[in-house]
Amino acid sequence: MSPFATIFAPLAAVSDVLWLVPLLPLLAALLLTLRLLLRRGGGDAGEPLTAGIAGGAALAALLLLVLLDLAALGGELPTHLAFGDWLRIGAVPVRLSFVLDAYSLPAATLVTLISWITIRFSATYLHREDGFQRFFLGLCLFLAGMLLIVLAGNAVLCFVGWELAGFSSWLLIGYAWERPPATRNALFAFITNRVGDAGFMLGIGLAVWSVGTLEWVWLAGDGSMGKVTIRLLAAGFVVAALVKSAQLPFTPWIGRALEGPTPSSALFYGSLLVHAGVYLLCRLQGLLLQAPDLMALLAMIGLLTAAYGSLCGLVQSDVKSALVFATVTQVGLMVLCCGLGLFWLAACHAGLHACWRAYQFLLAPAYMHLVRQPARPLPRWLANWRWGYTAALQRFWIEPLANSLLTRPTLALGRDVRALDERFIDPLLGAPRDDERSAASVAGDELIRGHGLAGRALFAFANRLQALENRLLLGDGGTLGRHLRQVGHYADAVEALLEQPRYLMLMVMATFVVIL
Amino acid sequence: MNEIAHWPLLSTLLALPLLGALGCALLRRAPLAQHIAFVSSLLTLLCSLLIVGVFDRADPDFQLCESVDWIADLGIAYRVGVDGLSLLFLPATALLFCGAIVAGWRVTAAASPLSPGFHFAMLLLLEAATLGVFCALDTILFFFCWEFTLPPLYFLVSQWGIGTGRQSAAVRYFLVMLAGGVPLLFGFLALAFPPAGDAAPVFDLPTLLARPLSEQRQYLVFLLLLLGLGAKVPLVPLHTWLPPLAISAPVAVTAVLVGLKLGAYGLIRLAIPLAPIAARDLHWLLAGFGTVAILYGGVAALVHSNLRGMLAYSSLAHVGLVLLGLASFSVYGLQGVLLQLLNFSLAGGGAFLVLSFLQRRTGSTDVAQLGGALRSMPRLGAFFLLFGLAGIGLPGTSGFPGELLIIVAALHDHTGAGLAALFGMVLAAAAFLSPFRQAFFGPANGPEVAAADDLLPREMALLLVPATLILGIGVYPMPLLELLRPAAEAWVAALAGL
Repeated sequence: MSPFATIFAPLAAVSDVLWLVPLLPLLAALLLTLRLLLRRGGGDAGEPLTAGIAGGAALAALLLLVLLDLAALGGELPTHLAFGDWLRIGAVPVRLSFVLDAYSLPAATLVTLISWITIRFSATYLHREDGFQRFFLGLCLFLAGMLLIVLAGNAVLCFVGWELAGFSSWLLIGYAWERPPATRNALFAFITNRVGDAGFMLGIGLAVWSVGTLEWVWLAGDGSMGKVTIRLLAAGFVVAALVKSAQLPFTPWIGRALEGPTPSSALFYGSLLVHAGVYLLCRLQGLLLQAPDLMALLAMIGLLTAAYGSLCGLVQSDVKSALVFATVTQVGLMVLCCGLGLFWLAACHAGLHACWRAYQFLLAPAYMHLVRQPARPLPRWLANWRWGYTAALQRFWIEPLANSLLTRPTLALGRDVRALDERFIDPLLGAPRDDERSAASVAGDELIRGHGLAGRALFAFANRLQALENRLLLGDGGTLGRHLRQVGHYADAVEALLEQPRYLMLMVMATFVVIL
Repeated sequence: MNEIAHWPLLSTLLALPLLGALGCALLRRAPLAQHIAFVSSLLTLLCSLLIVGVFDRADPDFQLCESVDWIADLGIAYRVGVDGLSLLFLPATALLFCGAIVAGWRVTAAASPLSPGFHFAMLLLLEAATLGVFCALDTILFFFCWEFTLPPLYFLVSQWGIGTGRQSAAVRYFLVMLAGGVPLLFGFLALAFPPAGDAAPVFDLPTLLARPLSEQRQYLVFLLLLLGLGAKVPLVPLHTWLPPLAISAPVAVTAVLVGLKLGAYGLIRLAIPLAPIAARDLHWLLAGFGTVAILYGGVAALVHSNLRGMLAYSSLAHVGLVLLGLASFSVYGLQGVLLQLLNFSLAGGGAFLVLSFLQRRTGSTDVAQLGGALRSMPRLGAFFLLFGLAGIGLPGTSGFPGELLIIVAALHDHTGAGLAALFGMVLAAAAFLSPFRQAFFGPANGPEVAAADDLLPREMALLLVPATLILGIGVYPMPLLELLRPAAEAWVAALAGL
């Protein structure tokens, strides 16, 4: 027994309250929301408490995680913990389960540490900003989401964190909501991320009925899955990872996501969120190793993204854009590592890169003061390569391409669908038109008017019936009318006879005979 | 507790809004009438909560049944009862009507020559009819309540609606629903009269559920009911009444109309279990309608500039998901469907209530006339955002568990349709957040928006109820799912036992 084990063994009890780790920032977010709704804590006086709530939650989570780390050093920690069911999909339970292994514990500790530092940094950076509370609300939500992604023991819980992080990123990119470009970029980033979320959902759905479990530990299956199933299952998660980590062809969103305040950019696109995809790939290694062609694809995408990021990064003229393309390059290298099967290397790279990039991003606003030499000029080969230079400057036209291939056709389809509603289905069903137009048409000698196919058909039918009726009954020469009148005369005669008492008596007697 | 269970709770539930309606109609003075309306809707809500409390969760059968002969010769009776499938719709209905009455508090005076008392009487009548649909255990009573929702809605829309198109929207709704009633009635008659023999007609739902029909007859019944209920669901070619109605109806009434999916409930309660063989054979029809609705609604919502029209088309996409979940005929699919329907009552109803407050303040819900509304109305914007996010199924809101269950079920049984639903997820997010951005973000647009007041405490209190429920169910959905489980299992078992 190592000396660690004897000292740290009692700390394993902390794992009983592991659920507190993601819950604490969530509670902080709830508290901040309530304060916002009740209009408390505005102005200078409220700022320390706001930052204190967020920072306190992060610090408490950090302390818990450090205790767990120590316990893990003692080797006493169970790697898979479950706290009851959260949902049940048929026979497959979705538990509140967490993993505590060599991937998740360091990642969670790092996430919390960097978030805590950023929260402390933001308390002064955002002093007297309009949306001070809103910003910290976003940070708390993000921390909760990120911790769920890292610690979650199953795909659904991870997905919850995945979307929470995406939503908080929408909230913070659109921080300056009165500036239209900021909110437009926030929308763009969220919708792109939603594509990845759909992929994640596909993975969850396939996992339920092909593997029969959602726990990461058993997701790789027992080797009995079909080749196609494995690839489909992995492909869903891989798409999610590629979107979150801004790999090709989903890279453009991250360039647009820098609208938020610098600390949030540091946290989301510099250091943490962008690595979530790589983390997911590491989690899925058991599954990915069964699909070598998918791994090859990953390696290729990683390589291409790294090249793309470095090329685009060279021509950027502002600090944050240059930094974000450098980040994309590094993350591309991590994906390449994953594709080559070096998952541990990718994870180490991600951790180190997160620390360094967070520092750089937080420093970015002060760069102008720090940098003494003029900026490095463009490398000669790129400056001379006109086509390459233009392409890098235009970021390889990925965004316009996506716009004209996806966004615009979808919107056009939407307009077509509305036109279909108004011009085709409505007339067919015979919906009445708007008041003014129909008022004008009723103004003639018609009492009512039919609209649309059904209405007109009914109208025509009614007209025809009325014509028939007119001809037969009402007109002077109507044949049916003449006959009817004759029948009427006979009926009158019969009635006159019946009115006489003897026939009446006879009728009554006949009735009695029939009844009895 | 036992004594309460013997009291005719469901009849009390139906009688309370009717009494309120009578009171409102007699006392036409506005302040008194609206207080009576509010009190009676609140009592109805309490009564519905009491029913939920008395309900035995482990029992999948109908409970709290009452039966009084109505037309004894034909076997038609006033039969009511609830089971796990219909139980939660009662408080949801009562809550939404409570909200609609508070939201219509002072707007009723100017709009129409009719007295405000009449407005509240119509709302309460509508509530009674809607609750009747959820409680009815007799096909004729169901039909009666179903059709009885039409006249109050007609008056509400045509008298207190918005814009010049309200008359035609009301007429269109009335006609489409009336036309839908014809196949529905024929379907009920085809159910009631056995094909051979001269046995007495049966309108009693539990008896009908226990009696197997011949296969041919099932196809007839299923298609008739699908057509009749489809107008209200709405299925895609029959949906064109919905957007104009959502734009022209008083916004609070729209909350009720769109928030409560009577048509989908009819499919769960009647069309599928009464014709199980046909329903299982025609599962592709349900899934197909669902897929079309998801894509159609999602795409059409993208380009709508009016927030109410956008929500109406989004609700079409939601209904598509519901149909897709039903087509899987699995326990978790059905649980997802019920959860999704309840979520839409909370989220859709809540969103329309917020829009009714917005409409009253700015006179419009068109994004072209709004813009920058968050500056003057941050709380209103926050609530709208929450309801919208629940609508697009963000985890942490009640929209997520339902959507997850349905998509998993759909991916299993109809993989292509499931993929379409995944695409619909992306569309729904874009369709909600894009107009939200235009309406609430950006610089303030126009003096009405800039000068508008934020939510009043009364309105906040009203919105906090659905908001809390949305977050509560979203954070821990398990208890609700367990509540739905016995009835869902019985429903699926009855289908699978063939």
